[in-house]
Amino acid sequence: MSAVATTTPSPIVTAPPPPPRRPRVLTVAAAFGSVASGLVVLTMLGVYLQVRGERLADGVPALPEDVVLPLTPGNMGLATLAMSVVTVAWLSYSLRNEDRTHAYLALGVSILLGAAFINATAYLYQQLEMPFTMTGTSGLLYAVTGAHLVMTFAGLVFLAVMGFQALGGQLTGRDAEGMSAAALYWYVTVAVYLPVWYGIYVTK
Amino acid sequence: MTVTEDAPAAVSAASEPPAAVPANTGLAAILGSGDHKVVGRLWIVASLFHLLLAGAAALAVALERIDLSGVDVLDAEWFGPLYAYRSVGMAFLFLLPLTIGVATAIVPLQVGASTLAFPRAATAAAWSYLLAGGLLVGSILIEGGPYGTDVDGVRLFVVSFALVLVAQAVAWVCIATTVLSLRVPGMSMRRVPLFAWSNLVAATAWLITLPVLAAVTVLAYLDIRYGGVGGFFGGGEQTLYARISWVFGTPTVYAFAIPALGVIASIIPVFAQTRHQRHGVAQGLIAAFGALSVGVWAMPGYGADPYAWLYEGPWVAVSFAIALPLLGLIGLWALTGVKGRLSASSPLLFAGAAVLMLLVGVVAGAVQAVEPLETLVDEGATPLYSTSWSASVAGYVGLATAIALLGGVVYWAPKLVGRTFAEGPTRLMAIVLLAGTVLWAFPELIAGLMGQAALPLVEVAENVSTIEALNLVTLVGGVVLALGVAGLVALFAAAARRDEQPGDDPWSGHTLEWATSSPPPYGNFASLPEVTSEAPLYDARHRSEEGSA
Repeated sequence: MSAVATTTPSPIVTAPPPPPRRPRVLTVAAAFGSVASGLVVLTMLGVYLQVRGERLADGVPALPEDVVLPLTPGNMGLATLAMSVVTVAWLSYSLRNEDRTHAYLALGVSILLGAAFINATAYLYQQLEMPFTMTGTSGLLYAVTGAHLVMTFAGLVFLAVMGFQALGGQLTGRDAEGMSAAALYWYVTVAVYLPVWYGIYVTK
Repeated sequence: MTVTEDAPAAVSAASEPPAAVPANTGLAAILGSGDHKVVGRLWIVASLFHLLLAGAAALAVALERIDLSGVDVLDAEWFGPLYAYRSVGMAFLFLLPLTIGVATAIVPLQVGASTLAFPRAATAAAWSYLLAGGLLVGSILIEGGPYGTDVDGVRLFVVSFALVLVAQAVAWVCIATTVLSLRVPGMSMRRVPLFAWSNLVAATAWLITLPVLAAVTVLAYLDIRYGGVGGFFGGGEQTLYARISWVFGTPTVYAFAIPALGVIASIIPVFAQTRHQRHGVAQGLIAAFGALSVGVWAMPGYGADPYAWLYEGPWVAVSFAIALPLLGLIGLWALTGVKGRLSASSPLLFAGAAVLMLLVGVVAGAVQAVEPLETLVDEGATPLYSTSWSASVAGYVGLATAIALLGGVVYWAPKLVGRTFAEGPTRLMAIVLLAGTVLWAFPELIAGLMGQAALPLVEVAENVSTIEALNLVTLVGGVVLALGVAGLVALFAAAARRDEQPGDDPWSGHTLEWATSSPPPYGNFASLPEVTSEAPLYDARHRSEEGSA
């Protein structure tokens, strides 16, 4: 019995070693990059809230009196970004499962939703009719939302590049780390919008 | 069933080596290289060039302060910008770039990687820093910068400073990703060498701090560009320095020193000829030091009381608590020295000088957090934080970091330039730098106690002659420091020209950077020893000694 055991190689021993774990460099870097980008927006939001608080404490309206900050575009932006979280997760899932049709569809819808968010914010700027230099808070409002727009645009570009790389065959389903990294950046972009939406559009 | 298998004698590097050695030579090899050693050297050389400029500004300001009756030596319109530039230049054009340079060159070697993560991004960051650093110096030359009179110059300063911050953030991402993702198989996080670990901690701290500073800088630009005189939400040009100078105050100033802890922790065990005691505890203490040094919450606000956090519980607690991890590390280093046999080589002298100065800086930082302690001379309840005492704290911490990093350059010179420094003169330079630091920073402590303000152009009411005498000693300290740095640069240049090869491992090092040739080839490693602890070469050496016995 023991002779058999020593001469018959165990399948566990003779099995080829697993492939080395691919270093997740892009995901790690995207985590650092997204947190850093988010901190830029949140710092500006903090300054906006402090300046706004000072104005309210002095009995001055947060924004110039003749400026109306509508809530609808902000809400639409939030809803759009919330939907994009689902479509980006759908995109990642489809790529992992080599489902190209769904991946194409999810990538297209995600980019469309991102573009719609940018469009909603641009429409809001048009509706506001508020000069940048009107008051401290007016400049800060544009600074905060503008910084988030830049972050959104960067996230869209990242998604598009990684999505098309994957669909073009440069990243396989097993190895779609770039897509995970882009999705991570996008989720943080959406998460950062929550305090921006509440701090600017809801509390006005 | 018995299946035996010899432990592998060598494992491949953590990432696949690059396909081919780059064909470029000369200037093209520098301009187009993504090799982390070349990029690291670029950061180091550029940072030393900026040290020359910022050091000259610091000496000019020190010279001006010998006579407090007015601005006599310099043009009055230049004094404010130069004062601000000496801090900004020392911190963001010299100290952090030197840190990034040493880390870029050494960290991939320490973790057994064949390259830095995102080498092209790291190269772009280095060139962006060079460009932005040049623009920043240019803005000062046209009387821009904080307190500057040329509006375009002030705007140029803000934009170039923001670009410097972005470049450094990108470089930190590359370094942190290398430690997290490109470690050789067998090197768990618990086995990461302490220099690489300290850079991971520093990268995390700076990737929290730099974006906040960048956001504040962007807002300062908008304030100055669109707000007109006085700005529309922050005071315009007059508050520019206050908007960015919180990074030179406690606790953020301690973040500069995080990699210094790693350098010291790398040097001491090698020259004690034993392994670092309680490696895991040391990792925890460095992480605690890093966590406490994240001071983005302690920056001037935009409200009626911009320094609302000053002397409040969290600020006082952090100012004291940060001494604990440092004391813990000093205890571990003392234990390591006792367990081994210390040999007074030049890197160890640098490490010792850095520990001493950092300890004084941290203690002085804790003292200034005690609210009842005020200046000795007036009855105006002037806290120490607003005097040159706080500038001295930054001086001690910054210079301790610089000494540690320069010691790191001496220690890792075989890997940086393939040569070693001349031992005798380098030891002398370590002592000169220690003396210069004491002469530079200690009189500032006393002058602060006597009421010299931290900010420029604030009139000193009492003890003028004593403070002027102390400022003269500070100037002498600056000259001594300049001599020390000049001597070290000359030794560096001489070492690079020497024909004598140091060998792959001249110090009998413990970590993986000593497992390759000096200087390392493109791709770093042909093979690596098995990593079963935080000191794989120390293990391998002792295994072979035991085997031969």
